Amino acid sequence: MTMTEPTPPVDPVLQAALPAASAVDSPARNTWRRFLREPLGVAALVVLVSLVFVAVAAPLLADYPTGYGNAVLSPPSGANWFGTDSLGLDVYSEVVWGARQSLLVAAAASVIAIVFGTLLAVLGAYFRRLDAVISVVVDLTLSLPVLPLMILVAALIGPSTITIILVIAAFSWPEVTRVVRSQALAVVRLPYVDAARLMTSSPAWIIRRHVIPAVMPLILVSVVLTSSRAVLSAAGLAFLGLGDPNTWSWGRILYEAQQAGAMSTAWWLPMFPSLAIFLLVLASTLLSTAYNDARNPRRNKS
Amino acid sequence: MSLLSFVLKRIGRGLLTIWFAVTVTFLMLRLLPGDPAIAIASTNMTPAIRAELLRTYGLDQPLPVQYVKYLGQLLQGNLGISFSQNIPVTDSLMEMLPWTLLLVGASLVVTVLLGIPLGVAAAARAGGVLDRLVQVVAVTGQSLFVPSVGILLLYVFGLQLGWFPIGGAYTDGTYGGAWYVSVISHLVLPSLSLVLVQLGSYVLTVRSTLIEALGEDYVTLAHANGLPGRRVLWKHALRNALLPTTTLIGLQICLYLVGGVILIETVYAYPGIGRGIYDAVIRLDFPLLQGAFLLLAAVVVVVNMITDVVYGLLDPRVKVGS
Repeated sequence: MTMTEPTPPVDPVLQAALPAASAVDSPARNTWRRFLREPLGVAALVVLVSLVFVAVAAPLLADYPTGYGNAVLSPPSGANWFGTDSLGLDVYSEVVWGARQSLLVAAAASVIAIVFGTLLAVLGAYFRRLDAVISVVVDLTLSLPVLPLMILVAALIGPSTITIILVIAAFSWPEVTRVVRSQALAVVRLPYVDAARLMTSSPAWIIRRHVIPAVMPLILVSVVLTSSRAVLSAAGLAFLGLGDPNTWSWGRILYEAQQAGAMSTAWWLPMFPSLAIFLLVLASTLLSTAYNDARNPRRNKS
Repeated sequence: MSLLSFVLKRIGRGLLTIWFAVTVTFLMLRLLPGDPAIAIASTNMTPAIRAELLRTYGLDQPLPVQYVKYLGQLLQGNLGISFSQNIPVTDSLMEMLPWTLLLVGASLVVTVLLGIPLGVAAAARAGGVLDRLVQVVAVTGQSLFVPSVGILLLYVFGLQLGWFPIGGAYTDGTYGGAWYVSVISHLVLPSLSLVLVQLGSYVLTVRSTLIEALGEDYVTLAHANGLPGRRVLWKHALRNALLPTTTLIGLQICLYLVGGVILIETVYAYPGIGRGIYDAVIRLDFPLLQGAFLLLAAVVVVVNMITDVVYGLLDPRVKVGS
């Protein structure tokens, strides 16, 4: 006989009257259930998942656009859904392969920025002497215009996918540190962390066991927001000619169109990559808002 | 803390930020693989000429010596010679700066003039139809990619409708009044693009801080005293809500505006610093890129200092203590 007997169904009226009844479930499941009730959040999640699917399945969805096509600057048609560019290449394939590159850059840059930024934030919150240095560097970096700085570095190293990822990560972590630090500072002062200090002398254990889990929800939101900002930065760099010249990205489609002077005649060239960027960023913003609301229902009221 | 020491502290902080920007730039230029000598010279020069070149540019000296020299040059306003134009970077930048300031300034003024009433209207009836609409538009606006907006406006209002010129900053061969008119008509589309992208975060900040202020006791008291609702909203609550908004103008808007202005000037071939950066990227003109970054950083820091001081003047608490 197993221990996992189904729990008796709770009368919905009773459950509504007794909020404690729902405390039996884990907070994560509660958040998920509340999240599913937010239509915008669910729609945003669907959009993001489909964009990730397009990125992963790019080789199945379209041939890699290369060389020259036969119909130059032809408007969208049955053969070329998104039209063709000034070299006669299919814009649909460029957008599909661009999704792969844009999401790769966004994911890689934001993972690096999040790991580095969180680590510094948590270490700073725990070791107060480090904190002084870290917060000064964060403040100073956050008060510099980031795009010109990224442009300078990308131009100096020379454009490649790795460069773009590192450059974006290098100037995205301070924002993560700023956000996570304020939360981590509050957590470190809580009594249960003091209690943990009595149990172990290992700061690494306390940070891993108590501080990181406490800032985890914030990190999840940061991942989404940092990635969407990374997409915008990468597109901006590519639009200025600092993207990887060997790979299609959404920014590069716009750059090539601008270079060829084809913006004015072929509306479909800027239109589809722009829509892709817009959808991705909008979905990320809505998703993080919906997640925040679902996690903390009181926020809704304000 | 007196207002004077507050102002001095902010200026000190601004100077620290500029020093940080300068040092980061110096380290990047010297330590990243873009060797200036390689960049200046063709690859097939003899080692002797290369060494000579390194000596002329002071690149054979130890790093700290180079750093001090670099600081000295910057203090004299010497940013080096532009590779592509062969004129001092300072001259080149000063030619472009007024256009960028005009574009940024116009966008900022329009954003504030539209953003405050919209935010107030949304906050006055929070949860109402107008509030929902404002929120949807604001979140949508924040997700826009600046060049996309620029290209869309250029296509619709410049090319299809022909209402505004599509590139440059003025019409050649116009003088006096006609020149000013041409400058303004060239300014409309690029600054409108920046406004559309910025407005959202501005409106949302005004809205949320104003809603918070409207919940305060002093607002209830003002209502109880029989002051007209409009007066309470605009005079009493808004004054407090404007404080965080001022900070937002200084920090976020300024930083994003600088990024946006580079992209939008590229779309509209507007002869400002952004367009200069685009050209410099294509020609790998490192001195110009470096100078442009430092100048933009300095502009941002100065704007920040000004908004901080304005904040101090608006907020009587600052005079008492931080």
